[in-house]
Amino acid sequence: MPDTHFYRYDEYDRTLVAERVDQFRDQVRRRLAGELTEEQFKPLRLTNGLYLQLHAYMLRIAIPYGTLSSRQLRKLAEISRKYDRGYGHFTTRQNLQLNWIKLEDAPDALAALAEVDMHALQTSGNCIRNVTADHFAGAAADEIEDPRIWAEIVRQWSTLHPEFTFLPRKFKIAITGSPNDRAAVRVHDIGLRLWRNAAGEVGFEVIVGGGLGRTPMIGKTLRAFLPKNELLAYLEATLRVYNRYGRRDNLYKARIKILVHEVGVEKMRADVEAEYAEIRDGLLGLSDETVEAIARQFAPPHLPPRSSLVAAVEALRLEDRDFALWLKSNVAPHRVGGHAIVTASLKPAGAPPGDASAVQMEGMADIADAFSHGELRVSHEQNLIFPHVAIEDLPAVYAALGRLGFAEANVGKITDIIACPGLDYCALANARSIPVAQRISNHFADLARQHDIGDLKIKISGCINACGHHHVGHIGILGVDKNGVELYQLSLGGDVDFGKTALGTILGPAVTADKVVEAVDALVATYLDARIPGERFVDTHRRIGAQPFKERVYALV
Amino acid sequence: MPLYNEAGGLPATYVALSFADWRQRLDWPAVALANTDPVEDLAPHVGRLRLIVLDFPKFSDGRAYSQARLLRGRLGYRGELRATGGVLQDQVAFMLRCGFDSFESDQKGFGEALARARTLFSIVYQPTEDGRAPASLLRLKRRNVMASKR
Amino acid sequence: MAKNLSGDLQVASANRLSDGVVVWLNDAGEWTTRLDLAAVAREGRAGEILLQRARAEAFSVIDPFLVAVIEEEGGVIEPLSLREKIRASGLTFDAIAAEAVRYA
Repeated sequence: MPDTHFYRYDEYDRTLVAERVDQFRDQVRRRLAGELTEEQFKPLRLTNGLYLQLHAYMLRIAIPYGTLSSRQLRKLAEISRKYDRGYGHFTTRQNLQLNWIKLEDAPDALAALAEVDMHALQTSGNCIRNVTADHFAGAAADEIEDPRIWAEIVRQWSTLHPEFTFLPRKFKIAITGSPNDRAAVRVHDIGLRLWRNAAGEVGFEVIVGGGLGRTPMIGKTLRAFLPKNELLAYLEATLRVYNRYGRRDNLYKARIKILVHEVGVEKMRADVEAEYAEIRDGLLGLSDETVEAIARQFAPPHLPPRSSLVAAVEALRLEDRDFALWLKSNVAPHRVGGHAIVTASLKPAGAPPGDASAVQMEGMADIADAFSHGELRVSHEQNLIFPHVAIEDLPAVYAALGRLGFAEANVGKITDIIACPGLDYCALANARSIPVAQRISNHFADLARQHDIGDLKIKISGCINACGHHHVGHIGILGVDKNGVELYQLSLGGDVDFGKTALGTILGPAVTADKVVEAVDALVATYLDARIPGERFVDTHRRIGAQPFKERVYALV
Repeated sequence: MPLYNEAGGLPATYVALSFADWRQRLDWPAVALANTDPVEDLAPHVGRLRLIVLDFPKFSDGRAYSQARLLRGRLGYRGELRATGGVLQDQVAFMLRCGFDSFESDQKGFGEALARARTLFSIVYQPTEDGRAPASLLRLKRRNVMASKR
Repeated sequence: MAKNLSGDLQVASANRLSDGVVVWLNDAGEWTTRLDLAAVAREGRAGEILLQRARAEAFSVIDPFLVAVIEEEGGVIEPLSLREKIRASGLTFDAIAAEAVRYA
């Protein structure tokens, strides 16, 4: 068993999670015995990750900061076999959802999770949700500091926080440690961006009030530079202001983004700073010792520098076109020479985005053990990542992924579609998402064509809650229900890249389900005709505007 | 509604005035705050107050948790702090951590649950008004002990 | 063609508390996993009575509600909305099997 290179629970963490499982077991027992009403029980099960969907309960398991060991992934496979139907769905918030859980089994499933230091705490409910981070953290060449150290600190502080368990609405925090934001920090309730100031100190830019959903908003800077060790005091101050003054009269106006919007960021800042001034010297200050003790656990594996130019890799690149494409789209630079970050696409042609069977999960765990120091990551783009792969091992990793069906060279391309579960599973959805994703994926399956089209992010949500992040898709697709018919609204120009974060603009009237593929095809054709060399879809759209796209789509449908 | 009192404060029959009424009678020792009342305004008076009642309009409305922490932590209020309204046993561990010490609840089994609530979680992650040492502090102490043994 | 033979038809549905499975209320006032055994209310007033009955039997289920259905020729009951069709007949695509390495 390889050592893990991220936070390991100690007896305190284990005790707390075990006690929480015991508490939930008792709550489930009381619910089944009729001692708790559904209204009373619902928030209890939600804060333990258990939803009720159309056909069954769904368990949303937290994968804090998207980091997983091979051992944990094997346990997830085992749980999915034993308590579910042997597959799971990786989500845009670095969670894993099991779709067919029984209430009476849920405490046992949670106890099994606890065996590998995992939980489903606060993956739902009006509380601080699973903290997400850059999926390349600890490996990315452009990283200033590993954001997972801070995500773990926030995870602990937010877990069973007595003051913030009944907030006006859910609260999502994301952290990035790189200038290239891969954690979408501007579309979270709080986004934290580590950066180095002119004095050479590293601190956080604190961004507040971003979010998608019904009222999409780009977050605003609350504090340009926060000393790192004051993070928890600042978060507590912000959450306290939100808990006291966030709207509770209207579910749709209860997120912090609405509070920030209504009072203005200046007033929000004044309130938070006043509260922060009261508590900054209190017990929430983090000692260097505490931070270092956690940071040590995230120490990267020892990777001896190796040659980046490996003859066998070069040979295969020349002889196997798909491998060459895969190197281009699925392999990213690592900070240590001779190594790479490999993204395994959970989007093979025609498959439900982000789904993996128990056997596939186990296969991925094996690859992680053999080639990535036993470590994996889950990305908010619903893919799995091997963060520490030697370049000389790339052909072997590619071959092993191919055997699992996860070697598609499509990361960042048109078939690397983000999609929420949609009306096939979800009680909130208005329209299906997965079948739409499948049809687009099949239509554009040809890899050479995908690479010719280049970077293009399609994001599909089955309702306004925007779990599929359609607002920030280069092409966003939103399912709506009109008199019992599924229609799909297209939007263009969304982006989550840092500095370019933008919300898409609706193209025109929604199209019927059978026209979605044709419409996307027309959008792509418009781009291919109009692009100048080096331009991505989203750049061309920015340059020429929506009109040419609109004309071509509505001439067809 | 049955009252569960860990504080030994005022008799249960003592009338807590609304914030508006109490402001007319600042010598009265008992006040009931709405979630929108400014707790900070009580600062000059907390020494005289013996009962403050905080309201949970619904059990899922958590504003009173913040009010409680401000009263205990910032204003240094030491009298009885009572939760009323949507007070259910599954939230009582959180209420204890925020400084509540008396509870009005008509939920069956609440008293037994209250007795158990302090032992439900032997580990906490946050420093709050109950004075319990969070895990980070326990770790620090343990490391210091280990370092001193070396 | 499906047609609504007798006005506003409704059945009562819920999810079972213990496992979340979709159930409908039958004529005997029991919850069944078979839509074809569901008690059908054939006009508005009967719908209200059916819902009251479902709520009275709600100990083992979660939040009963009425589902608008149509009766096909031959007496086959079919929900009107896509959401309820999916609740009744499951996913509209094939989920990957536990032992599968390829989606097909």
